[in-house]
Amino acid sequence: MSTSDDPYALLPLTPVVLHILLALTDERQGRHGYAVAREVEELTDGRIRMGPGTLYGSIQRMLDASLIEEAQRVKKPRTQPDDDDRRRYYRITTLGRRVLELEVSRLAEVVSIARRKQLLRPEPA
Amino acid sequence: MRSNPARGERLFRALLLLYPRSFRDRFMDEMLEFFRARCDEARKQRGAYGLARLWMHLVADIAVNAPLQHVRAFRSTSARELPWASPFYPEESHPMDVLRQDIRYALRSMARHPAFAIIAALTLALGIGANTAIFSVVDAVLLRPLPWPDPDRLVMVYGARGTQRQNSAVYLDYKDWRDQSNSFQELGVVRGQSVNLTGGENPDRLTGTFTTASTFRLLGASAFQGRLFTDAETEVSSKEPVAVITESLWRTRFGSRSDMLGRTMVLNGQPFTVVGIMRPDFQAPLFTPDVWMPIGYYPNKGDLETRGRAGVLVFGKLKENVGVARAQADLDAITERLADLYPTTNAGTSANVQPLKEQIVGQTRTPLLIVLVSVGIVLLIACANVANLQLARATARRRELSVRAALGAGRKRLMRQLLTESLALSVVGGLAGLGIAYLGVAWLSKVVPNILPFFGTIALDRGVLAFAAFVTLATGIVFGIAPAWQASRADMQEALTVRGDTGSAIRLRARSALVMGQLALCVVLVVSAVLLTRSLVALSAVKPGFDPEQLLTLQFRLPAVKYDADAKIVDMFDRTIEEIRAVPGVAHASLVRATPLNGNGETFPYEMEGSRGVEPDKLPSAHRNIVSTEYFETMNIPRLAGRDFTAEDRATSVTVVIVNTQLASKIAPQGSAIGKRLRLLDGDSAKWATVVGVVGNAKHFQLNETQLDQVYVPYSQKPLIFTEVVVRTNGNPMRVANAVRSAIWRVDPDQPVWRIRPVTQSIDLQLDGRRFTMRLLASFALLAVLLATIGVYGVMSYAVARRTQEMGIRMALGARNTQVVGMVLRQGLRTIGIALVIGLGASFGATRLLESQLFGVEATDPLTFAAVPVALALVGLAACYLPARRASRVDPVVALRAE
Repeated sequence: MSTSDDPYALLPLTPVVLHILLALTDERQGRHGYAVAREVEELTDGRIRMGPGTLYGSIQRMLDASLIEEAQRVKKPRTQPDDDDRRRYYRITTLGRRVLELEVSRLAEVVSIARRKQLLRPEPA
Repeated sequence: MRSNPARGERLFRALLLLYPRSFRDRFMDEMLEFFRARCDEARKQRGAYGLARLWMHLVADIAVNAPLQHVRAFRSTSARELPWASPFYPEESHPMDVLRQDIRYALRSMARHPAFAIIAALTLALGIGANTAIFSVVDAVLLRPLPWPDPDRLVMVYGARGTQRQNSAVYLDYKDWRDQSNSFQELGVVRGQSVNLTGGENPDRLTGTFTTASTFRLLGASAFQGRLFTDAETEVSSKEPVAVITESLWRTRFGSRSDMLGRTMVLNGQPFTVVGIMRPDFQAPLFTPDVWMPIGYYPNKGDLETRGRAGVLVFGKLKENVGVARAQADLDAITERLADLYPTTNAGTSANVQPLKEQIVGQTRTPLLIVLVSVGIVLLIACANVANLQLARATARRRELSVRAALGAGRKRLMRQLLTESLALSVVGGLAGLGIAYLGVAWLSKVVPNILPFFGTIALDRGVLAFAAFVTLATGIVFGIAPAWQASRADMQEALTVRGDTGSAIRLRARSALVMGQLALCVVLVVSAVLLTRSLVALSAVKPGFDPEQLLTLQFRLPAVKYDADAKIVDMFDRTIEEIRAVPGVAHASLVRATPLNGNGETFPYEMEGSRGVEPDKLPSAHRNIVSTEYFETMNIPRLAGRDFTAEDRATSVTVVIVNTQLASKIAPQGSAIGKRLRLLDGDSAKWATVVGVVGNAKHFQLNETQLDQVYVPYSQKPLIFTEVVVRTNGNPMRVANAVRSAIWRVDPDQPVWRIRPVTQSIDLQLDGRRFTMRLLASFALLAVLLATIGVYGVMSYAVARRTQEMGIRMALGARNTQVVGMVLRQGLRTIGIALVIGLGASFGATRLLESQLFGVEATDPLTFAAVPVALALVGLAACYLPARRASRVDPVVALRAE
């Protein structure tokens, strides 16, 4: 994947990359890998269930393309055994957000065309 | 097997080795954490099944993604200049380059020795292909979840009485269970029975199920068009004759007509309104009918309104977080109360809750696992053969490897090179194996559905392919590791300076050990195959008590609406049997409730006169059959005492029965049973009946059943609308089939008849499952022997070649040919002997697993345990003979000059 800053060069996104970005979009602190996979599973009702190879392969490509970055977590006292500071957290970058917006509006356009062709029922009011 | 988390993690770590190091360094910890989280999740939600499924998913995921990372890593370094020119490279070169080099080298090496590569790859292909094909069946039958929502919460509830734990249930009991229990989200009943469809062009017979709305809910059924039943419609008191039909019936019988909903179908002479068409992919447990009707329309409605009359199957869905044990305790409390309330019918009865999955696949688990283990053994033997070939080649390559070591390749590096070669070989074998698996799956998916219960399809799907990939890689490692380790240990200095064969003594020992392992595994397989074959032979030789040859059977059932009085049924039966007996080619004909070995039949408790005071639940049971006159002549069941039923045995005359010899000897241990009385508890008006005849014992449900007590009742005294016809013919039974059917139609042109077949075919159907297991095991055993023979031959040839010089000297000193042959054979025999002893020991353990599948032969049958080793020893010796003869033809001069 190119490391170019041109967001258009990265479109269209693969479904996995798209969903990872969606899963990260509302979490400023970032999420760790397993939490990303869980979030994607929940958002898609379990239809996209990633294995570790798919997940981390995508994360690596997205890091390379600067769509996401490792987040600096604010150090806080360890309260839960689960809250391990060795964990890496990933968060969406400005470029990532821009690419996601472009991709989503591209998809919205596709949907509106499909609707005009009456492939979809009109959106409920 | 995977219950140990640490072991699972080690395995996962090993899988991650498939990734390039750079990727591992970066993500290994995170992936491990991910793996642990998924394991916890899977264990919590689905237990062992979830874990198995998780592993399949993991293996597939990593097998796909790891190579991609290699490609990436390779691309990102491809700008660098690669040392292609030199076959040797420093340890610190990029891992990807090394891998590329190793693969190139492995392919070149295969191309240089095509015979070796082809033999090895074919051997592996057979093993991997057979394993993949068999696994596709195991996956479809045992591993895949049942096709209903929350399959782990689905159960069957049986009626139980004494030692009989899986009786059908009583409808009124079911209602109490449903209303009083609190463990079930839903309980529903099912009663299957074929129905007559009339009102169209031809009378037809459909398979039908009478059921409740709750059954549909608990199975997650939904309509494709229209709707399913409401609760009100499936109450017994309902007056709404509605029906739901399958999509395939709608298509085939009604031409997909668009106005199907609301139409009327005449079923069993009564109009039903079609309210829904089931969605096409719905499968009901045990059996999917053509049409569903509310339980209240079951023709023998009395069964639903009378305590003590069993006949319905009860399905249940447990509430969330309720286990089978809690549901069982819940029902136990209810059945105890019922026993107090209704002591005459319910004393001694209880309910038995069983997981549905167990009920559907439980029977098949052992045979399938036996087949899976045996095909796994074949693969192990194949691996041993390839390892043997590799070891033999290692000798030839010793100098090459030493040169490479001398030029700076480290030991680890050499091992890696050799392992890559093995893996490349196994991948080639695996790809060819997929071809074999494809053929195997095509065959199995034709054969298996008639034998094993499963839903969906048997196919090379993702899970099965992941399994094939896993087996292929594991195979490469298993057969590659020993030769790689051996070769990397070779002392380079010795190899370069001395031309002798010092390292080969160790190698010979390794190869002999491999051959011993092969032969030992062979013994286990062959012994198992022989035991299963002998069981099948014993079962086929069971005398059923009647003569199944030249017997034709068919079934029909009268619509209760038309034949609503006993007298009408008896009259119809009387006329029908008369018509059939008049058909040319028919020697004898009779009506019978259930032809032996045809699947139908009932047993009932009975009491003998004078043996009062037996608790109701301790009463013995007998198989009851309802027959016409001449039944025993038709079947060739010997009549031993008394008389046959006659036309004088009518509803109004004395109630009479005929019993088999086993029951007769219980009724009258000394003397004659004729004239004694017994009472069969087969309905509310159970009458004392007088024994008027004694006939021979006959098998009824299964060839391998322990002999049942049998009671025969004349249909004139117990008319049921359901009957079968048996006809003894003078020639091929199917030749008179049409004439017999027309004879029935002369009495009632609206009467559909079905399941027209020779009785011998019913017996074949009973044996098919065993025949399938036996044939698979026998072919695996044969394959195993073949592979092991090749193994023995290879090792002995090698041993002889190594001793050429020694042979030369011996013969120069006057040893005769026969002495040399004897010497080689003795050496071979020692290896074979040790292997056979080990194999026999292993067989004693292994055949225990077979015990439940055996019939008429012990798991430790001495004849088998003696004959198999002798036979295998002979085969092994034959494999030694060729190399031995070659040794004896050694020309001393040539042999001595060799060095």
